[in-house]
Amino acid sequence: MSSDQDHLKETDTEARFEFKKEENSAVRSGKGLTEEVIRMISDDKDEPDWMLERRLRALEQYQNMPMPSDWPGMPDLSELDVEEIIPYIRPDVDKREGVDDWTELPDDIKDTFDKLGIPEAEKNALSGVGAQYESEVVYQNMQEQWEEKGVIFCNMDKAVQDHPELVKEHFMTTCVPPSDNKFAALHGAVWSGGSFVYVPEDVTVEMPVQAYFRMNSEGMGQFEHTLIIAEEGSEVHYIEGCSAPKYGTHNLHSGGVEVFVGEDAHVQYSTVQNWSKNTFNLNTKRAICEENGTMEWVSGSMGSKVTMLYPCTILKGRGSTDTHITIALAGEGQDIDTGAKVYHNAPETSSTIESKSIAKDGGRTNYRGLVHIADGAENSSTAVECDALMFDNESTSDTMPYMEIEESKVDVAHEATVGKIGDEDIFYLQSRGLDDDDAKKMIVAGFIEPITEELPIEYAVELNRLIELEMEGSLG
Amino acid sequence: MSAGTQVHANLTEEQVREISGDLDEPEWLLETRLEALEALDSLDMPDVIKTPGREWTNLYELDFESLVDPLNAAENKDQVGPDEANVLSWADAVQEHEELLKEHFGSIVDPQENYLTALSTALFSTGTVIYVPEGVDAEDVAIRTEQNSRSLFNYTLVVTEESSSVTILERQSTGEEAEEQYYSGVVEVAAGENSYVQYGSLQNLSEEAYNFTVKRGVTDTYATIDWIEGNLGTQLTKTEVSTELRGDSSETQIVGAFYGHNDQHFDLDAKVWHRAEHTTADLITRGVIDDISRSVYEGVQDVGADAWDTSSYQRENTLMLSDESEADASPQLIINNHDTEASHSATVGQIDAEDLFYMTSRGVDPRSARNMLVEGFFVPVLEEIDVDELRDDLEELIGARLRQRD
Repeated sequence: MSSDQDHLKETDTEARFEFKKEENSAVRSGKGLTEEVIRMISDDKDEPDWMLERRLRALEQYQNMPMPSDWPGMPDLSELDVEEIIPYIRPDVDKREGVDDWTELPDDIKDTFDKLGIPEAEKNALSGVGAQYESEVVYQNMQEQWEEKGVIFCNMDKAVQDHPELVKEHFMTTCVPPSDNKFAALHGAVWSGGSFVYVPEDVTVEMPVQAYFRMNSEGMGQFEHTLIIAEEGSEVHYIEGCSAPKYGTHNLHSGGVEVFVGEDAHVQYSTVQNWSKNTFNLNTKRAICEENGTMEWVSGSMGSKVTMLYPCTILKGRGSTDTHITIALAGEGQDIDTGAKVYHNAPETSSTIESKSIAKDGGRTNYRGLVHIADGAENSSTAVECDALMFDNESTSDTMPYMEIEESKVDVAHEATVGKIGDEDIFYLQSRGLDDDDAKKMIVAGFIEPITEELPIEYAVELNRLIELEMEGSLG
Repeated sequence: MSAGTQVHANLTEEQVREISGDLDEPEWLLETRLEALEALDSLDMPDVIKTPGREWTNLYELDFESLVDPLNAAENKDQVGPDEANVLSWADAVQEHEELLKEHFGSIVDPQENYLTALSTALFSTGTVIYVPEGVDAEDVAIRTEQNSRSLFNYTLVVTEESSSVTILERQSTGEEAEEQYYSGVVEVAAGENSYVQYGSLQNLSEEAYNFTVKRGVTDTYATIDWIEGNLGTQLTKTEVSTELRGDSSETQIVGAFYGHNDQHFDLDAKVWHRAEHTTADLITRGVIDDISRSVYEGVQDVGADAWDTSSYQRENTLMLSDESEADASPQLIINNHDTEASHSATVGQIDAEDLFYMTSRGVDPRSARNMLVEGFFVPVLEEIDVDELRDDLEELIGARLRQRD
């Protein structure tokens, strides 16, 4: 680790996620979901009519859709009461669209993000940072060199005002329509904040763009929307991190992510999710890949009470490629139900899915994935590999892949293994002088290495540290 | 949709009473049948896999009851076995082994598990009971069923006592063909302590027929159940072959082979529940699909919380010979005990172009080369089959189907 990352050594990661702040908000919606709440949100944001209309339409779809219930082995959502969730809280920031100078932020918010290690990360290795506190983006900054090349990185609410044409065309239309699922509809009705990233033709953003989401208030829902448009031949890496302190009541995070990967473009989307363990994390993330485009999803899911997340890639253009790398860690009381969806809709497309999961202290992990190869998607290939590690007998590890192959000129392979931590491996490490805990930590670190390799160093360090924290005291 | 919306146009209590009466069944069996009939209204079809916007097998479109002709079942049946084992027709078993039936009938496959098992329980008119006493080794038990009627409901019970063994070969075919026929079979196997059951089955019904079959076994301590399952016939098959490993150190193997062509649809489930310590399961299925046929495979390895020291393996490979065919697969792992070594894999592909090129470069004409490669594809499965007769028959049927192709 270089000296640049010293701040990570000094910050106690656990403290970074566990602290709570007194809530200090300017506008706060009531609980639940009504047309008035939607109109209030839209009005507070001073949105154009078309966006309000989309919200109201999504609300109607939400109300008409049943809760999903017929999935085999589905996580328990009975404790989630959307009517008790506060969908919208605007923190008290003077400037409506957030600030672009860190020092202008109110002290309490600045303090929160300082504790989380932002924006030190920006100083070090990032080309842009956005930070969302409750429902609003409070800080957004893009390094000038990228701005000059026409890269847009701004708060989603601001994009609605400043880039209406782009947003109108891409926002919850072809990629994730609200009708996709009940929580996408909910998201469409109450979404707030999030990031808008636009990378013009042939521009490569060499440093990652980062957003950080934090829920600070009890019983709130966060519904940020991320829209990434990568034009032909461009390249960008977007990273999001999420956290919230733990309260007695449940929080709900239902984000929406839409990625448009242009011809020959390359987008990587990385997530380190560490919501508090009373959060229901129900997201819809999807990418559409044009010819020879490449989409990479890297996800680490450590937090939340329940996560249901299946990032999806639609390989629409000939020769497009998808990679999924997923790691899930479920401890006591956690149900991490995650996986991947890939639709091969064109010839010569390929996908690789690599999933690693760890279940311990009664937690449950499930890989749930779908690979669909459409008729006519000749010479396509897919390889799925799921490995699961179990620590104890109270935990559960499930694997539920689905493969639908309508084309014969394909190469389809799925593999999965489940096992416990090897006694021999532990014995070997102990014989080298490591104690039991350290040996297990080392084995876990080795198990997830393929994932951490894909992340910038400070995220890799954070991920490792988070996993170490989750493991501490739980081994035996 | 619930099956409750269906009206039993041609199903009555009287029919069930008549079937049971003809077989001279005791009151408790009649009751079980009548309860199953009554439950039809509230039962759903067997589970099928659903993914967003798709259902892998549509059973609701079929009007099973219109296929049913309960009082006119006709068949040609052979039930043979060595003298040491008791191989009995259902009617004989009812007279000679009522206690055995009372103990086992419906204990492994719940008659009211779903709509189709209940239909089968209410209406079955033929069956076989195989009872192998302690210490007896019975080879070459053969059951051959030739369906000669619109519908046929068949029931099979296998009970092996301690340290016995039995090899059973079952075949289904169609004699008199009708436009649409329905074959329904329920097989229950209770493998006693340290006993061994090998149950081979070759389904080669008419390609107009519909088929629903559940074969399920339960093992006692040290027992082994090996299933071999060949599927070639019918236009729609929905089957489950499964074992519950209930006794410590028990084992099971499920070997499957299928070859679909024309518009055949196979929905094949292989399931294992590990419910005791030191149990082992091995699931191997290979299949070929051609023309516009479709295969659906669901494999489940379920390891319970008390199943310490489990080993469980599953492999499924599908070869697509035609571009219009479709192969769906879902191999699932449900693991609740960490002292487990489990893996599964599934592949879908076509004949390897390099292999084909190699063979044609050696002077083999392309058609023969392809047929040899397809036959070769089945070899790993055929090798697992210990029953020579079944292996030879399966090989021959595969070869014949390949030669039909241009």
